[in-house]
Amino acid sequence: MGKNNKTPEQKQYEKLEQQHETKRPVLKNCIKAFFVGGTICAIGQAVSYFYIYFFNFTEQTASNPTVATMIFFSMLLTGFGVYDRLGQFAGAGSAVPVTGFGNSVISAAIEHRTEGFVLGVGGNMFKLAGSVILFGVFSAFVVALIKTIVIQWFGGGFQ
Amino acid sequence: MIVGKASWFFENEPVIIATGVTGGPFEKNGKLAEDFDLLYDDLWMGEDSYEKAHRLLIDEACRIALEKAELTKEQVNFMIAGDLINQITPTSFAARSLAVPYFGIFGACSTSMEGLALASFLINGDGADYIVTGSASHNAAAERQFRYPTEYGGQKPPTAQWTVTGAGYAIIAKQNEKYSEKPKITAATIGKVIDMGLSDPFNMGGAMAPAAADTIETHFEETGRNHEYYDLIVTGDLGKIGRATVLDLLHSKGIHIPEEKFLDCGLMLYKEEQPVQAGASGAASSATVIYGHLLKQMNYGFYKKILCVATGALLSPMTVQQKETIPCIAHAVSIEKNS
Amino acid sequence: MEKRLMLFIFSLSVLLFGCSTVNDTPETRSSLVRTSNPNPIAVNNKDEKLVGDIKETALSIDGIYDVAVIKGEAKDCLVAFKVHHLERFRMKKIEKQLTKELQKQFKDLSFTVSSDFKIFLEAVRLNEKVEKENLSKEKKEKRLQEIIKLSREKT
Repeated sequence: MGKNNKTPEQKQYEKLEQQHETKRPVLKNCIKAFFVGGTICAIGQAVSYFYIYFFNFTEQTASNPTVATMIFFSMLLTGFGVYDRLGQFAGAGSAVPVTGFGNSVISAAIEHRTEGFVLGVGGNMFKLAGSVILFGVFSAFVVALIKTIVIQWFGGGFQ
Repeated sequence: MIVGKASWFFENEPVIIATGVTGGPFEKNGKLAEDFDLLYDDLWMGEDSYEKAHRLLIDEACRIALEKAELTKEQVNFMIAGDLINQITPTSFAARSLAVPYFGIFGACSTSMEGLALASFLINGDGADYIVTGSASHNAAAERQFRYPTEYGGQKPPTAQWTVTGAGYAIIAKQNEKYSEKPKITAATIGKVIDMGLSDPFNMGGAMAPAAADTIETHFEETGRNHEYYDLIVTGDLGKIGRATVLDLLHSKGIHIPEEKFLDCGLMLYKEEQPVQAGASGAASSATVIYGHLLKQMNYGFYKKILCVATGALLSPMTVQQKETIPCIAHAVSIEKNS
Repeated sequence: MEKRLMLFIFSLSVLLFGCSTVNDTPETRSSLVRTSNPNPIAVNNKDEKLVGDIKETALSIDGIYDVAVIKGEAKDCLVAFKVHHLERFRMKKIEKQLTKELQKQFKDLSFTVSSDFKIFLEAVRLNEKVEKENLSKEKKEKRLQEIIKLSREKT
C-alpha cells in the first residue's frame, strides 16, 4: 500500500488520530539545539586554541587534532552512556557537530561488539555514518566539479 | 465453543494457576516494581549479549511460574510463547533449555494474549493439562533491531514509546476444585489485521488504536457482553495517544466506556518522571502488567472481570524503510474470578 | 552516572591543565582577547625605522587593530594582524588589501602576511624574548624563518 492511495476511511482516521497526537515542540527543540550545539562548538574552539597555544599548530592546521579530540570526547561520553541522553535533550544540537558523527560510529561499534570484531564491529561500525561519508564525499565531488567547470568557462572571473 | 466469527467461550473455564514476571532496571524504578517477581539491576543481566539477557528473562519467568505452581517441567504439555527479536530466537532458545513441546508464535506486542487465547482453547478442548504461555521483550535488543544502536544520540519524538524489558509467563491448567479460587479464562476474541495507513514507526499507539477498537467492538458484538459486564478493560501498549484515540473511535461507534474503566498497560508501568515519551510498549508490556499487576489486583478483589486487549504492530525494520504502512492486530481475552 | 561524569571531567581537566608548562607571561597569554600591540622586531638594528613604518601602514587598514611585524636580515618580512571580530567575514579581503598596500609602499621587501592567530602569538612570544634577553641576530633570523615556514603549512 503506497502512501498516496489511501482510502477515505484511512484519511478520516488519520484526521482523528492527529487530534490526539502530541506535537513536537519545535521552537523549544530549536532553542535547546542552539544552546547545546553552541556549547559543543565553544568547547571545540577552546580545544582548538589549546592546540594553538601549547603545540605547533596554526589556526588552519589545528582543526585536524581538534576534530580528533572532539570525537575522542564523544567516544568517552557515548561509552559512559551520557551522549544518548544529551541527544534526546538537544536533538540536532548534539547531532550536527562532529561529535554527533563520532557518536553514530561509536554507538554502532559498541552495539555490534557481541557479533565479533570482523563481521560485527567492522561490518556495522559505519551502519549509520556510512551514508554521511558517502554523500559527503559525493557532494564534495559535485561541488568541485561545478567549480572547475565555472572557472574553465569564465576564466576565474568569479574569484 | 465458537460464537460469532472469531470469538470463543471457554465453558470448561481454564485457570491461570501461577505466573512468573521478570523485569529490568527501568522497571525496577517504575510504578509497579513490587509486582515483579524478579528484577535485574542492569540490562546485561550478567550475560554477554542483550539477546542472551533476553533469553534469561524468559528462563527465569518460566522457572518462577513453575515453582509457584509446584509443577515440574515434565508435567507441562506445551509452551506457547514468542517475542519481538529476529525469528523469536530468545523464546526458542529458552524453550530449548525448558525442553517442553513448543509452539513459537509471533504477534508482535499482542503475543501475550494470542498465547493465552490459544492455550485456553487447547486446555478447554482437553488438548492439554498444563500449558506455559507468555511473551517477553528486551529494551536494548528491540532498540537495536527496530531503531538505532542503544547509545546513539538521536532524538525521539514525544509520540515514541519505550520498549519494556521483561517477561511475563503464566501456567494455564484445567479447572478443578483445587483451583476454584484462581482467575479463570472465560472468553477470547481473535482480532484481524487492520491497517489504517499510518506509517510512522515512532507513533505505534496511533497505528494500533483502530485494531484495538475493532477487536473490542467485535468482542462485545459476538459475545453479547458490553462494557458494563467488565470491571476493567485494559489494552496492551497503546500509550497516551493510542488510548485517547481508541476511546474516541469507540465513542463514535456507540460504545461509551467510562475513562476510568479503560486503562493501558503502557501507561501503568512507569512513573511520570521516567523519560518514556508516550508510554511503554513491547511484548512484555501487556504480559508483565496483566500477569504481574492485574492478576494480583484480582486476587485482592479489586477487580472481578477484566478484558485484556493486547495490541501488536506487525512491522519489521525492513518494511519501515520500504515505506510500507503499519498493519496492526489486537486480541482480547476475558479473565474472571469467582467471588 | 554522576560519578562517571565526575571522573570524565576530572580526567579532562588533568589532560588539559597538565600541559600548561609553556612559560608565557600573562600579557602573552591574554593576547587572544586583548590588544597586545607588540613592538615591531628588526633583526638588523638599522631597520628599526622601517619596521615602524610597516606597522603604521598595516594599522591604517580599515578593520585591523593589532599588528606584529618581524623584519629579517634580508628581504623577508612577516606581518601578522588581528581584525575586529565582526570583520572576520572580510578577513580574506583585508589580507589581500594589506598585502597590496605593503607591496606598493615597500617595493624591495618580500612580505608574508598572515591573519592566523598562531603566527601573531609566535611573533608576540618572540618580541617578549627579545625584550627579556639579548638574542643574537642569528637566533632571531632562525625563529623568523621557522614562523614563516609554519604560516605556509596548509594541513
